[in-house]
Amino acid sequence: FACPSAPGGANIAAGAVVCVESEIRGDVTIGPRTVVHPKARIIAEAGPIIIGEGNLIEEQALIINSYPENIMPDTEGVEPKTMTIGINNVFEVGCVSQALKIGDNNVIESKADLGKNVILTSGCIVGACCQVNTCEVIPENTVIYGSNCMRRVQTERPQPQTLQLDFLMKILPNYHHMKKTVKGTSTPVRN
Amino acid sequence: MASLLQPDRVLYLVHGEKKIRSSLSTLYFCRYCSELRSLECVSHEVDSHYCPSCLENMPSAEAKLKKNRCANCFDCPCCMHTLSTRATNIPAPLPDDPSKTAMKKAYYLACGFCRWTSRDVGMADKSVASGGWQEPDNPHTQRINKLIEYYQQLAQREKLERDRKKLARRRPYMPLAFSQHTIHVVEKYGLGTRLQRQRPGAPITSLAGLSLKEGEDQKEINIEPAQALDEVEPLPEDYYTRPINLPEVTSLRQRLLQPDFQPAGASQLHPKHKHLLIKRSLRCRKCEHNLSKPEFNPTSIKFKIQLVAVSYIPEVRIMSIPNLRFQKECQVLLTLTNPVESITHVTLVGCEEGDPEDINSTAKVMVPTKELVLAGKDAAADYDELAEPQDFQDDPDVVAFRKSNKIGFFIKVVPQREEDGDVTVSFKIRHDFRNLAAPIRPSEEDDAPTEAIWLTHHVELSLGPLVA
Repeated sequence: FACPSAPGGANIAAGAVVCVESEIRGDVTIGPRTVVHPKARIIAEAGPIIIGEGNLIEEQALIINSYPENIMPDTEGVEPKTMTIGINNVFEVGCVSQALKIGDNNVIESKADLGKNVILTSGCIVGACCQVNTCEVIPENTVIYGSNCMRRVQTERPQPQTLQLDFLMKILPNYHHMKKTVKGTSTPVRN
Repeated sequence: MASLLQPDRVLYLVHGEKKIRSSLSTLYFCRYCSELRSLECVSHEVDSHYCPSCLENMPSAEAKLKKNRCANCFDCPCCMHTLSTRATNIPAPLPDDPSKTAMKKAYYLACGFCRWTSRDVGMADKSVASGGWQEPDNPHTQRINKLIEYYQQLAQREKLERDRKKLARRRPYMPLAFSQHTIHVVEKYGLGTRLQRQRPGAPITSLAGLSLKEGEDQKEINIEPAQALDEVEPLPEDYYTRPINLPEVTSLRQRLLQPDFQPAGASQLHPKHKHLLIKRSLRCRKCEHNLSKPEFNPTSIKFKIQLVAVSYIPEVRIMSIPNLRFQKECQVLLTLTNPVESITHVTLVGCEEGDPEDINSTAKVMVPTKELVLAGKDAAADYDELAEPQDFQDDPDVVAFRKSNKIGFFIKVVPQREEDGDVTVSFKIRHDFRNLAAPIRPSEEDDAPTEAIWLTHHVELSLGPLVA
C-alpha cells in the first residue's frame, strides 16, 4: 500500500509510538508497535531508513545512515543505500548504529557502536560499550561481550520485549506528545 | 592538579626487616611500639570468610569443608560473573489430573553479562529457586581422597618421630622442644587448621597428644601405586582435517578455572560455586598487638581496631610545583596536615651527607628551620562561627597559609641532576606524639596526663620532571 508521506519525510505507521522530542530526519519509515523514546535520533542522510515493527529505540540512541567517509555529500552518481532494520530489535540507551542491515530479535546494548560494514543477522546481542566495526556478517545468535569483544554463541535468541513495549505504549503518551502517525489504509472508505 | 595528590608522590620510610618506602595511606602505625608498619612487616591472619555476592558469613570450619565456596551462589563459567536465577512459566501436567496443564515455575541460571544460561550446557530447569543446582562429580574423587588420607597419616607419623627425637634429647629444656620445622611438617598435608605461632612461655599442648598416640592402634591405610599404561588412546582420524568451531573452544582461563575437568568444549562448561573472600586482621610482629581488625559482619566496612598511619602521623602533601630548572633554586609549596586533636609541633630537618636512608634524592632541598606549629583537628570547626581564630605568629616567608589543622609552607629545591627522571627530594620530619594508649601511671606530681615523645620519619617527595 502506498501511504502519503507525512511532512518532514517521516512515515510513521499507525500503532507506533514516537515521541515528539525525538529527532527524525530524512526519509524514515517506522513500522507499527515500535516505540521511539524522546532524545532518540534517527537520521537518514545518505539514504532512507526502514524500521520494522516491534522495535524499541531508547533515549540517546543514534541510528544514522551516513555517507561513507571519503565521499562528500554533493558528489553525483552516489546511489542512496537503504538501511533496513527488522522486527523486535532493541536499541538500548546511547547506542550508535550505522549498520545497513539489521535482522530480527537483536539487542544492541548501551553505548555499543556498530560500524557501517557490519551486518547483523538474527538473535545477536552486541554488549555494552562494544565496538563492532569489522566488515562481516555476524552469525545468528552471537553474543559479543566484554572489553575485548569476546564472542560466543548462545542457544536461544533473546525474547522479544513485548511486555516492555506494551507498558511503554500505554505510559509514554501520558507524559509526552507523540508525532503524528499516518492513518492506516486497512479499512477502505465507503462511498 | 589532581596528579600532585597521587599516593606515590610522597613516600614515608618504614624501618622494618626491609626498608620499605610507601605512601602514608597504605601504612599502619603501632602506637605501642611508636613505629610505622607496612603490610610486609605485620602478620596477616584470616578473620572470617564471606561470600561476595550473598554476603553470608561462614565459620572457618565450614568454609574448609566446602572448599572455600559458597553454597548458594554460582559463577558463570564463561565470563566469571555472578549468575542470577531466573524463572519462567512452563505448562506442566497437574499431578492429580494428567489431562489438564497448569503453569508451573521453572528456574534456570543466567548470566547478565555474557548471556550464558544453564540451558546452554544442557542443565535442566529446576523447580526450586535455590539448592537444586549440583556441581558434577569428579570421577577421580575417591582416589584423591584415599591418597590424601594416606599422606596425612604419613605426615603425622613423621611428626611424631621428630618430636620424640627432640624430646628425648632436650628433656630439661621443654619450652623449646618443637622447632619451626616440626610445625611446617604438620602443615604439609593440611593437617593443622591454623598456624600456631610459638609464643615464648605458652603451654605445650602437643605433649599431651604424644602420649595418647603411642597407645593408639592406628588404622593402616594402604594405597596402590599408580599404574603406568603403555598404550594411549589414539587421536580421532579427522583431528587434523576437521574445521574448528571457534565459539565452541574454551579459553585457557575458562578451562583452568575448572581444574577437575578442564573441558575443551564450551558445551561442557558447568557453573562452579562462588569462591569465598576473607576479611583479614593485621598484627604487629614485635608487640603482638592488633593493628587492624575488621568488623565481623560482612555488610559492615568499619573496623573494630584501625590503627592507620594517617590518623596519627602528620601528612605531607604537594600543593604546587613551579617549573623546575637544573641548578636553579625553585620554591615548592607543600601542605602539612595534623590528624590528632592536640597541637602538634613539627620540625623539618634536611638529610645530611652520607645519610644511609637518603638514596633516591636527586636535588638539594632547603627546609624551613623554624618549628612549625599545627593546630589540632577540630571536628566542629566548620560549624562554630564564633570561634576565635587561633593566633600563631607565622613567618610569611615560611608559612604560606593556615587553615584549621593544615598549613602550607615553602621549601627550596635545587635540582642537581640533569637526567630524564623525576626530581626527588627527601627530608626528615620530626613531630611530637602523645601516646593515648599507654596506661596512665598514677603519678604523684600533677603532670600532664600524657607525655609527648618525639618521632622522626624520613619522607621522600617526587616532584616531577625537569623543565628544559
